[in-house]
Amino acid sequence: MKSLLATLALTTALTLPGLAMARPVTLTTTLNSYGGDGAYLALYVTDASGAYVGSLWMAGGKSKYYEHLSDWYRATGGDTAQVNGITGASVGAGRTLEITLDLADALFDAGYTLHIDAAVEDMRDSPNEVAVPLTSDSAGTPVAGRRYVASFAYDM
Amino acid sequence: MKKILTLLAASTALTAAIGVPAWSAMHAPADGVLRPVAALFHDATQAMPLVLASDDDDDDDRWRDGSRRGHDDDDDDDDCDDDDDDDECRGGARNPAPAGTVAPPPNGLFGNGAPPQVQVN
Repeated sequence: MKSLLATLALTTALTLPGLAMARPVTLTTTLNSYGGDGAYLALYVTDASGAYVGSLWMAGGKSKYYEHLSDWYRATGGDTAQVNGITGASVGAGRTLEITLDLADALFDAGYTLHIDAAVEDMRDSPNEVAVPLTSDSAGTPVAGRRYVASFAYDM
Repeated sequence: MKKILTLLAASTALTAAIGVPAWSAMHAPADGVLRPVAALFHDATQAMPLVLASDDDDDDDRWRDGSRRGHDDDDDDDDCDDDDDDDECRGGARNPAPAGTVAPPPNGLFGNGAPPQVQVN
């Protein structure tokens, strides 16, 4: 009985910090009705110095087009390993992409910025379409993009 | 005795079944007796000429930016196309694994909880 309790206590102790260190965050991106094909979007994070930290999502599965997401491409060299397991379909004009990710708490209020690069076939590329600081205060506040993104917000 | 006869019949039938098509494939028949069998091999080579198929579909390559950098107007450099499902792409790079098929990259941004969920409205 004692050993069972000890085991339970140990597993609880090991599990709780993991749960507390991350939280589900919903990223909502709504596109304008720009009248083109589906947009490729790269969502990624830079630190306080502007250095690339990692990617959160890639909308668009064909790596041959990633060079048009120029800031992301420059930072990663087009390395598809950066977006393995976090890649989905491109997003049509006027549509809303809603992604829920289990994100580390350390991302928030620590000087990190979330960026979105966008590109559409036959239309101009739009690097840094959105740049929004990851802070608790900014959560839930919609931000407009420059060309293709009508609004972007993250909710915790 | 019956056993021997049965064995002989079986081996003969087996030999004929394997040998006749092979023989007729190697020899063009002059009398036409084995023509139906030989035709399986002989005519097929004429009916199916080697066709070099191109799966290029450069209609989908009309991406651009202000400088038209990386524009794929030419037909020669596409090792991967939009409409095929292979993973080969420029420079040997592969398409990334879709969400849900592998874990997110270990970039320190993700927790160990629920896998990514996506919805397009």
